[in-house]
Amino acid sequence: MSQVDPKHLGRVFDEAEFGPVSADEIVAYSRSLGETAPCYVEPGPELRGHPTYCVRFRSRKGFPDDFPTHLLGRMSFDAGKDIEFGTPIRPGDMVRVTSSVHEVYEKTGRTGTMTFVVVRFAMTNQRGDHLATIDNRMMFRP
Amino acid sequence: MTPPRFDAVEEGDDLAPWDRFLAKDDVRAYAHASGSAFPRFTDDAGARKEGLPGMIAPGNMSVGLFAAMLERWGGPGSVSRLGTTFRGLVLPDRTVRLRAVVTQKNERTRSVEVDLWMESDDGERLVIGTATVNLA
Repeated sequence: MSQVDPKHLGRVFDEAEFGPVSADEIVAYSRSLGETAPCYVEPGPELRGHPTYCVRFRSRKGFPDDFPTHLLGRMSFDAGKDIEFGTPIRPGDMVRVTSSVHEVYEKTGRTGTMTFVVVRFAMTNQRGDHLATIDNRMMFRP
Repeated sequence: MTPPRFDAVEEGDDLAPWDRFLAKDDVRAYAHASGSAFPRFTDDAGARKEGLPGMIAPGNMSVGLFAAMLERWGGPGSVSRLGTTFRGLVLPDRTVRLRAVVTQKNERTRSVEVDLWMESDDGERLVIGTATVNLA
């Protein structure tokens, strides 16, 4: 099994703030998905970010500076993500992202042993409202 | 379309299927709008340098398409949770088929659990997932 020092788990290794979010950015994101609902594509007081607009915001570095690099293989893939949605992102919002390593585990498949590292991005706005929590699952192969 | 009432939904109900042709320009537009305009998502030559067969769609685009599909059914703001696993490359200039089925109802929260999958046009499941959708 992957041996990871428990000190790495749950510890915030990066904090970043983005914004202010513009109406144009929100509309462009929604339209790129083919979205037509007025609350996602028509500028005005009802405009808000499409639920998955939150994926635009992420940490500036992938892992803690002291994360054991032997766990990270030569090849990496985005294996998936789990998102809990909160308050919608609106024009003018600042988006604060705190990043932590949530989980590390291994799986063995046809191509050998793969290490999965789950990095959690917790997002709030300038009022402290929860916007989203994203568990981003990266897979590493030797 | 008016979202269904919680009481009108049954476990096993299929959501309206969505077949979506992903043109390369659609993928590029998403990559730029999502802040992920990396070569693998914007041009074939750049993707091949990374060992890929050509440009691919970002995994996040699949997540976004699932959310859009769910909200076409449940209405804006109805999705409270969405989990996905990326199993294969989503290649542009092809049609992907998005499908979903209600697997469980939660009376207390008036929400439903949904299984999701995205297939290639030859039936390979490229992305699978689950979601929670709140209904009135």
